[in-house]
Amino acid sequence: MTASGLKLPLDIPTVETDRLILRGPEPRDFEPLAAFFADEGRSWGFGGPKTRNEAWRWFASNIGHWALHGYGFWTVEAKGDGAIIGIVGLWNPEGWPEPELGWVMFEGSEGKGFAHEAAQAARAYAYGHMGFTTLTSNIFPGNKRSVALAERLGARYERDYTNVTHETEMAYRHPGPEALAKEGAA
Amino acid sequence: MSGFPLPIPVIETERLVLRAPRASDIPAHVALMGSDRSKFIGGPQDEATAWRGFAGSLGHWVLNGYGMWMIADKADDTPLGRVGFINPFGWDEPELGWHLYAAAEGKGIAHEAAVAARTYGAEQLGLDGVISYIDPANVRSLALADRLGARFEREGEVMGHPCHVYRHPMIGEAA
Repeated sequence: MTASGLKLPLDIPTVETDRLILRGPEPRDFEPLAAFFADEGRSWGFGGPKTRNEAWRWFASNIGHWALHGYGFWTVEAKGDGAIIGIVGLWNPEGWPEPELGWVMFEGSEGKGFAHEAAQAARAYAYGHMGFTTLTSNIFPGNKRSVALAERLGARYERDYTNVTHETEMAYRHPGPEALAKEGAA
Repeated sequence: MSGFPLPIPVIETERLVLRAPRASDIPAHVALMGSDRSKFIGGPQDEATAWRGFAGSLGHWVLNGYGMWMIADKADDTPLGRVGFINPFGWDEPELGWHLYAAAEGKGIAHEAAVAARTYGAEQLGLDGVISYIDPANVRSLALADRLGARFEREGEVMGHPCHVYRHPMIGEAA
């Protein structure tokens, strides 16, 4: 047993921002994740709704995704009170056209810029430490909040494509590491 | 970016190695889950679903400290199937499960692997006298359960599917 509550250690890096900690999944993340997946109004744009059973399987598959690819979804924790507020990360299961940057904020954590802060940090980490040179975000048509965030992150609509599990989605393309560096320097 | 190995114990038997599942085993797993042979273990499934199931079985190890090993041929490391302890959300208790890829059947491999996994579970993982969930139509698995000394205990249900619960002997009782 590790301090995190995991029964086998996982070598997942931690990323810190001003207000957030991105860390590897831990057992205590399951309840907030299951609550998110149970809520169709929140999870429809992320493969939901899912039963607790299905949510556990997704939770376990994300850990396996880290083990297989070396990247996956981090749990996003608020630095102040340690609240588990969402997930953000890189996702590339079988059938995905290419790795994507994804984000989800749990109930009560929206409207504070947390998703932006988390996604920006995950993208910077992916470019700076994981060897990614480009990233997309796949967004369901009608998911206006996610489109707004993708655009705020500088991503642009590229194309519609047929997702292996979700039907038609819109692929947004993020600026690459060089474009972001230029922007940062400007 | 490549993945990282999980510290999953390795068990050797006369002909087999039970080891951590890894990315190179995925095609064999996908082939099994895409075939009719998977009808008693949640299939058939498309490739995307099977991939997630495979990834989930790695997460299972991390969350529970036990899970399914890949059964590999000791001579050349060919993946032959999986065996191990399964206890995802919705299970009553940890289960000893097994399945073989098509080419590996009929050679006593599942028996050899299941005995090794069961012994390891009882001695090292505190999993003794475990159950196996078996669909009553799954004649091959019923025969193996019987050969392993497991006995019918009750009718049960897994993920909404009715099945029979077999109980394995405690380690001191195993024949």
